[in-house]
Amino acid sequence: MKKRILALLLALVMGLALAACGGDKSDTPATGEGSETKAIAAGDLKIGLILIGDEADAYNKNHVEGIKAAMQNLGIAESQLQIKANVAENADCEAAITELAEAGCQVIFSNSFGHEQYMVKVAPDYPQVQFCAATGFVSASDELDNTHNYFARIYEARYLSGVVAGLKTQTNKLGYVAAKPYAEVISGYTAFYLGAKSVNPNVEMYVNYTNEWSDPAKEATNAKALIDRGCDVVSQHSDTSAPATTAQENGAFAVGYNADMIPAAPKAALVSARINWGVYYEYALGCMISGEAIPQDWCEGLAEDAVYLSDLNEAIVAPGTIDAVEKAKVGLMDGTIQVFQGPLYDTNGTVVVEDGKAYQENEKSSAPAWDKIIKGITVLS
Amino acid sequence: MHNLVNFLTAGILATAPLLFGVLGEILTEKSGNLNLGVEGMMFMGGIGGLLGAYYYGLSTDTPSTFVAVLLAILCSMLCAGFGAFLFSVLTITLRANQNVTGLALTIFGVGFANFFGEAVAASDPNRVLAVSESVRNAFNGPIFPPAMVQIPFLGKLLFSHNFMVYLSILLALVLSLFLYHSRKGLNLRAVGENPATADAAGVNVTLYKYVATCLGGAISGLGGLYLVMNAACGVGGVWVHNCIDGYGWLAVALVIFSVWSPSRAVLCSLVFGGLSVMRYYYPVSWIPSTIYDIIPYLTTAVVLIAVSIRNSRQSQPPESLGLAYFREER
Repeated sequence: MKKRILALLLALVMGLALAACGGDKSDTPATGEGSETKAIAAGDLKIGLILIGDEADAYNKNHVEGIKAAMQNLGIAESQLQIKANVAENADCEAAITELAEAGCQVIFSNSFGHEQYMVKVAPDYPQVQFCAATGFVSASDELDNTHNYFARIYEARYLSGVVAGLKTQTNKLGYVAAKPYAEVISGYTAFYLGAKSVNPNVEMYVNYTNEWSDPAKEATNAKALIDRGCDVVSQHSDTSAPATTAQENGAFAVGYNADMIPAAPKAALVSARINWGVYYEYALGCMISGEAIPQDWCEGLAEDAVYLSDLNEAIVAPGTIDAVEKAKVGLMDGTIQVFQGPLYDTNGTVVVEDGKAYQENEKSSAPAWDKIIKGITVLS
Repeated sequence: MHNLVNFLTAGILATAPLLFGVLGEILTEKSGNLNLGVEGMMFMGGIGGLLGAYYYGLSTDTPSTFVAVLLAILCSMLCAGFGAFLFSVLTITLRANQNVTGLALTIFGVGFANFFGEAVAASDPNRVLAVSESVRNAFNGPIFPPAMVQIPFLGKLLFSHNFMVYLSILLALVLSLFLYHSRKGLNLRAVGENPATADAAGVNVTLYKYVATCLGGAISGLGGLYLVMNAACGVGGVWVHNCIDGYGWLAVALVIFSVWSPSRAVLCSLVFGGLSVMRYYYPVSWIPSTIYDIIPYLTTAVVLIAVSIRNSRQSQPPESLGLAYFREER
């Protein structure tokens, strides 16, 4: 009996080894020639979407709603979209991408940073398929023509939400529940702080990291600690409404991200900075239909409606907020206001952006790159 | 000093959900049942309580806060108790493997709560499953008069908490008295140590196991309710996807940390709760925050090692923990 099992196992191993050899053959290097897109009729388009979570949270929901709206505008039926939800940033992702490509999708989107490495791995095998990774950064530097990155100039909306917070604060102390010490997060809270400072020069800000993108209990503890420290407006780069509800129960105010927090905390949520992913999806799918090449890096902001502020909670925002936000918005759109306008100093007093100059975020890639902590911001832990 | 008071207060607030979970599991394990489904039952308790208060608010034009809070607690305990009841039927009557059943209960409870939380939220006109402001305040506001809360230092530390905090400590005292100073408590411990002997002495083993497991589950469920309703370490009266993530497992570990003693559970939960919020109140610039985050777990591990080295008779698990009792095999 034991021998028989052993024989079976050996046969299995051999079979697997053969299969592995077969896989190697298809690993031909990409030439880039095959990636010239040709026009695909809207009715023939097959779209794949890889999600890090599912529609239960605001981040993934925004992507799904965005792509569905884009498809509706372009006359693409919902059945032409295949969604793979809850795809972790590991080998599962490679399998999910391959499945979508094998299923005949001509364009595949993924919505998490860690998905990109697997896209880059699969992309050479399917030169006819376009691979688009949100928040990724390697497309411009890799050798592949069929990989693309996309993001939005969220720092513009963060700046505007900072204006709202700067006018509201009485203690001149803002708090920020941050997820992880990455450039994407730092760029966001720096823009938020600079927006607040543009209307309130005395404002300072405290930042605490949760080290999780989504952990409601930690976000709440974090927000409570910031409020205990004297912050009366708390903003966040994290996924849940916990900071907003914590602010409400502790008599503070909140500025949200990704989702409108007013239903969860009607007495505290002032406004939220949001990304409208539909703008990119409509653009990229439009390219597929017209046969135009999708750019390697795509990043748009207020001007293209790719980012926006959710409706202000007019009952509780400070007087004059509507005008101040409108003024800042016009300035950002016509270029008279630069978010990262010099002079900016780091916490040691060294100049990081010189007077009269402005740092251009998203110039080199669609992913944010600002990672300096400037004076006025205290990172606690 | 101001910061110290804030830190200790936040620590106490973070203690209560753990304490509910631990006390429930201690009661369960004292009957010889190892229910690994605490996480699932906390989820069920959380969603049950939230839905109870939510539907009560919808059903009447003039909702009474007191009734809403009472209903939240009742529904929470019933819902979590139901999870524990399923576990009891499977493990006590059908004698299924307790570890596997507990894990299944966790998976079931998490799915159950997220499903109903999101389904009800989707049906709400505001697309959110939230309780009214008065109910939130009842779960978060102090129960003592403001004059007492304003006593310097001690006022905030002792009298500023919500009723659930005091309820959890009261529960620990009651459970301690019950287990070690009552006849029924003695019987229960006998069932957990050696059910055959208890059976021979005329104790109804099955009944004791059922009641202890279901009641234990219901108490654990209150921890979930606390996390859903509390705004200092929870989500403040709104359903958030996966909002109890991990607390149930911490509770299971803390049962061992507190060596199955309800009074020690208060201390252990307090140490754990305090250490878990310490990073936000006493940041140390040269310790990476990810390292700081593991201090509570590290402390637990060190204490467990120390306890197991001492190896005293008092710090042992109930002898028949995790074993099904089959009368015919006596």
